[in-house]
Amino acid sequence: MLEWLIENNVVCHALEAMIFASVACSILGVIISRMSLSSIGFTMSHAAFAGAALGMFLGANAQVMAIAFSMGVAALIGPVSEKAKMAADATLGVLFSLSMAVAIFLISYMEYMGKGLSASSLLFGDVISLYREEIYALAAICCLSILFVLAFYKEISAIMFNMKIAEAAGIRVKLVYYILLFIIALSVALSLNIVGGLLIFVLLAAPASIASQFCFNVKSMFVVSPLIALIVSTFGVWAAFEYTLPVAPLVALLLTAVFGLSVMLSLKRRVNSSNY
Amino acid sequence: MSVIVLESIYTAYEGGSEPVIKDLSLEVDRGEYVVIGGPNSAGKTTLLESINGLVKITHGRACVCGLDVRRRGFEVRRRVGYVIQNFYFDPFTPFTAQEVVMMGRFGRQGLLSRPKESDYDAVQRAIKTVGIEDLAHKTIGTLSGGQQQKVMIAHNIAKEPDLFMLDEPFSNLDFRAREFLQDVFKGMVQQGVPILMVAHAFDGLPDIPIHLVVMNRGRITGDLSCQAGEVEEIIRKECEVKERCSSG
Repeated sequence: MLEWLIENNVVCHALEAMIFASVACSILGVIISRMSLSSIGFTMSHAAFAGAALGMFLGANAQVMAIAFSMGVAALIGPVSEKAKMAADATLGVLFSLSMAVAIFLISYMEYMGKGLSASSLLFGDVISLYREEIYALAAICCLSILFVLAFYKEISAIMFNMKIAEAAGIRVKLVYYILLFIIALSVALSLNIVGGLLIFVLLAAPASIASQFCFNVKSMFVVSPLIALIVSTFGVWAAFEYTLPVAPLVALLLTAVFGLSVMLSLKRRVNSSNY
Repeated sequence: MSVIVLESIYTAYEGGSEPVIKDLSLEVDRGEYVVIGGPNSAGKTTLLESINGLVKITHGRACVCGLDVRRRGFEVRRRVGYVIQNFYFDPFTPFTAQEVVMMGRFGRQGLLSRPKESDYDAVQRAIKTVGIEDLAHKTIGTLSGGQQQKVMIAHNIAKEPDLFMLDEPFSNLDFRAREFLQDVFKGMVQQGVPILMVAHAFDGLPDIPIHLVVMNRGRITGDLSCQAGEVEEIIRKECEVKERCSSG
């Protein structure tokens, strides 16, 4: 897609992948962070991680298994919380532990069997060896995330405000919530190859947290968060290739640094003392 | 036609040792002002949430606005205003009062639709009715508890409900705001919209006939018509009699 701008195919693919993944995750991150459901991010990422590990272990397609596993976990979150009468966060904690245990068990076993190298790409991602189809899939999920927010904006904003009040207003809260879970699951599973299971959470959490330091309304958060993700990931990919550094950890470090700066510079917590 | 018809309903929470609401029947007509009183944990809030389907009714028949609550709960919620009892909005909540009032219209608009001119008009009318024009563009988390309460009342008025339920709506409001809002509710009742209000303080009730429902331990122990000035005394007597009966 960006071949007209960047001649080197590897750099071009890495940049495209990083842009699509970070934009999709940062948009969904706005919803997740406002609903205090950050644990969805790391549960999904580790579910995808466990699924991919299972795929590798069975000799099946790792990405397909990652999608299937994270979709399965997404389908479990709501019903398990309801049935067990627990907060979604507690359910997510249990599912996170399950996913992590499955992943570590399989990776350890694969290391024992001499397949450790391929398993390590699941942990840290491998942005320079992506297939074109994977980038198209990422572009599709990026568009799906944007369309989801545009189509359900009023329902999403009401749920972000207060779930019980939204339900009392007659909004189909559960439907929108489950669609959100499935889109997060898809985004995370498809982004796994790029940043890996351990770093993907930063794409979900950091851009939205940075945007929340400066934005006073939800509409601007949905614009600023992907914009930050776009700028930082583009710079990160350029710097990584220019100075021969690992792409995904560099982008994660840059996003964390920008978050630290944004907390220091945030206007929100400043008290206007000019009228004292 | 009655707006609420409850016939021997039971409501239980999963894992609870006994039903929160037991064998409760109630009928409310258009234009009635219903006050629900009783001691703590009598089941008053659960009754409101059973009426709009937020809490599951396990047995009995519940028909609200002509709809079966057990089957069509979310359609009922589209038509019923409900001001919840406890809410907290943190100072960084990124929504203005006007946006929150507009959210009251979302259920009626349905999925995948955008607010229309009539929705914006209804929001402006609700803001004016409750008298929060000066707060409309402020973020809700920066408002006081009483101001937030008014925004939540406007949120439900904007919905143009067929039934309006309020759970202790005056807990954060000063006496002037209470009197002002009681006049608003009186106006709604006169237009035919029934009001169901759970309350613990009864000063400033409007000077219209009151349908008083007294609850205790998940049952209705008193269902009668009275005047505003008699409400507190009747509830006090009902509760004392029941306490004496249960202890003796």
